Amino acid sequence: MTKQTLTGAPLHPAVDVYVKDVADGKLDRREFLVRTTALGVTSAAAYGLLGLQQPAQAGGHAQQGGTMRMQMEVRALKDIRATDWTQMAFVYAGWLEYLVEYNSDGSFEPMLLESWEVNDDATVYTLNVRQGVKWNNGDDFTAEDVARVITDWCDTAAEGNSMAGRMSSLVDADTGVAIEGAIEVTGSHQVTLNLPKSDITLIAGMADYPAAIYHSGFDGENPLNDQVGTGPYLSEMHEVGVKSVLVRNEGHDWWGYDAGKGAFLDRIEYIDYGTDPSAWVAAAAADEIDMTYETVGDFVEVFNGIGYEESAVASAATIVIRPNQEAEVDGMKPYADVRVRRAIAMAVDNAVCLELGYANQGEEARNVHVGPMHPEWADVPRIEYDPEGALALLTEAGMADFEMEIFSIDDDWRKNTTDAVAAQLRDAGFNVKRTVIPGSTFWNDWTDYSFSSTNWNHRPLGTQVLGLAYRSGEAWNEFAYSNPEFDALLDEANSIADADARREVMMKIQQVLTDDAVTIQPYWRTVYRHAKPGFVGWDMHIAYLPQIYKIGVAA
Amino acid sequence: MGLFILRRLGVMILTALCLTFIVFWLTNLYPNLEKLAKTQGNFRMSDEQVETYLGNRGYTQSLPVKYGQWLGVLPGYVIEGTDGDTRARCENHGAPTEDTPTFCGILQGEWGFSTVFKEDVGGIVATRLGLTGKLMFWVMMVMVPGALIIGVLAGMREGSRTDRSLSSISILSTATPEYVSGVILIAVFATPLFGMQYFKGTATSAMDDATFNNFFLPVITIALYGMGYIARMTRASMTEVMTAQYIRTARLKGVSFPNIVMKHALRNALIAPFTVIMLQFPWLLNGVVIVETLFNYKGFGWTLVQAASNNDIELLLGVSVVSVFVVLITQLISDIGYVFLNPRIRIS
Repeated sequence: MTKQTLTGAPLHPAVDVYVKDVADGKLDRREFLVRTTALGVTSAAAYGLLGLQQPAQAGGHAQQGGTMRMQMEVRALKDIRATDWTQMAFVYAGWLEYLVEYNSDGSFEPMLLESWEVNDDATVYTLNVRQGVKWNNGDDFTAEDVARVITDWCDTAAEGNSMAGRMSSLVDADTGVAIEGAIEVTGSHQVTLNLPKSDITLIAGMADYPAAIYHSGFDGENPLNDQVGTGPYLSEMHEVGVKSVLVRNEGHDWWGYDAGKGAFLDRIEYIDYGTDPSAWVAAAAADEIDMTYETVGDFVEVFNGIGYEESAVASAATIVIRPNQEAEVDGMKPYADVRVRRAIAMAVDNAVCLELGYANQGEEARNVHVGPMHPEWADVPRIEYDPEGALALLTEAGMADFEMEIFSIDDDWRKNTTDAVAAQLRDAGFNVKRTVIPGSTFWNDWTDYSFSSTNWNHRPLGTQVLGLAYRSGEAWNEFAYSNPEFDALLDEANSIADADARREVMMKIQQVLTDDAVTIQPYWRTVYRHAKPGFVGWDMHIAYLPQIYKIGVAA
Repeated sequence: MGLFILRRLGVMILTALCLTFIVFWLTNLYPNLEKLAKTQGNFRMSDEQVETYLGNRGYTQSLPVKYGQWLGVLPGYVIEGTDGDTRARCENHGAPTEDTPTFCGILQGEWGFSTVFKEDVGGIVATRLGLTGKLMFWVMMVMVPGALIIGVLAGMREGSRTDRSLSSISILSTATPEYVSGVILIAVFATPLFGMQYFKGTATSAMDDATFNNFFLPVITIALYGMGYIARMTRASMTEVMTAQYIRTARLKGVSFPNIVMKHALRNALIAPFTVIMLQFPWLLNGVVIVETLFNYKGFGWTLVQAASNNDIELLLGVSVVSVFVVLITQLISDIGYVFLNPRIRIS
């Protein structure tokens, strides 16, 4: 019998409750895995508790060596903590690794940590750092490194640092840095986190893409300058907009080789074919790429048609088409009025957005950015679809003549979905103007558009995106949403380790978001990747995480 | 001749100065600088943060001063920022050291630093210009001989069946813009749709290793458009020459028709197309924007689009300087070429 938890400690008491929930049908398998592995249960044991076998890793069938070419946008790298594109992480994932790894089945696997333990009310986290890991410059990887990076994550003053939002329970609100004594090195390979309040999202936050662990001599301006990391690859070239190449770091004894982790490929090439998917098809037909970064919309069928293999994952990735409540248009703030926002939500049928915008490759959502794939989701109905009532409400708000300008990026599904929203608003009698902005400039000030669409990646827990994007004053709060009641409820939800208990609070949160009509969030996307036959371990990741060490050429 | 070339060089430098100053002025308008600050720093900077960001990096100096620094006639700024860091223009906005030069502009061979690509502008322009040069070379190799042959054949006997059919083809090809012909060519020759998948619909791999397979479609897309145009010019000039007195005299003397075309008519008929061909160079430099995007070939046109859409000031300036020089040098070559084609023209 192998041990049930990563540390060998007894099972967390909540686990029993979860097993019962699964038996009662209250919890599906993915949710069960998310919750139990976040509490330190090994994923083999978690599967075992359900009477299942853990699925075999595809890695066993990969051969050592080979080259893989992926179509992917190549962007300029910046401070790791400020990473705002998973494509950037795919590059530095060659030499920088994560403490914890989140998998598409919802489980958390230790990487640079060997194991972790969480106390019952999720206020004390004990992180056991993996033994025998070395930096590629020869230094030992120790608890000091982990503590240093976590402290850096908590620095809210660092430009663009989005990790501060994920670590918010460790941050002192007054000073804007980590709370004194919260991050404690308790051994050469042990770090203890003492939280002032319970936080269930910490492990999930450590698995997210900007959470790569970097060396102390790190160049914040350009990570490529000094590629000291623990990972198996190094960057050979990185030309923005053109190409980026990772090659095996021959001189470095990666810990993963002994642990049987993989890193099968000798060379990984990311080639930029712009944002037009038809160019990707042309590249695939010309045998210039082996796989896509992500396949979207109608092109899923096209890639199937040219003989590529498909990998699909139902995720919590989504799009929001939202007004910015603080945006000023013609000297007034049109969307500060809740009636205007409610009118917008009432005029849009989400099923139509899903059909026209994403070819029905997903599930309808309810405008609250929390869904059935999140463990704590509550069954709260959306504002009813009522185009006539919408116009009446807009007229009541005195905005019937106001011209809403809706911005979107110039690409396939995001543009189409935004078009579907605009068309429905027009059908309801609203005055709408559509503006499409090229991808190269759209993101320059994406949070400031008065009314625009943004894609959001999947996050394991329902409270996570809410904390990143809906809490008052957060860097990514593109809604300019600020509601003290919501903030308080979210803090409360974040202190409840048990998802059933959390659902009570989540119900209130979803109701507040529905009443405030913060955004239109029409559907959840199924995400796809396609690859030429002959590769293994390339499956689409539910959260687009860069697990490139798993990819190999089939033996 | 020497004086003529010198005078031309003078004009070239003056034009480059004027043009770069205009580009410099436009890219340094405050909204553009604000955009730059937000792309480089972070999206949600407040107006004060933008102000300090720009101030710390020397963007808020007066326009002539900044332009002088870019040229290298004024010393590069060294500013002690409000955040306590000292930044110098000559260290790519980093901290100055003992070895930091005082001047770092075009005159010192420093083209600046691209904010989008995080590389030296000189290097980017050289690589991208090289790639576009490769494309242009093959376009010229296909387009010029093709166009001249079609034009001469059509112009030999005005109104004949050869003339009518070749003229129709050239009108058709020149009337089809690249973004139409490119898409059609890709659909026909690079997809399995018509059973004629002979070529590749993308030229990305041609950047490292150009083969007939991956380079033919972009080359032919550009060449077709120019070919029809030059062929029409050649035909017009050829028909005019063929009606000239001395051709009639030659025919009356009993010179064979091929000999008349090759020895008597051709040289005179080539003067007009020569100018057109030389004018194709600057047109190609910008015209490739569409084809490079369509075929994902990352050359000069693509760089221009990236630089413009991200307000990359120094890269845009580099691109403008190169464009000015390409236009004026090809004009210089065409003027000198005249002298050899037409003995009546003298350069004094």
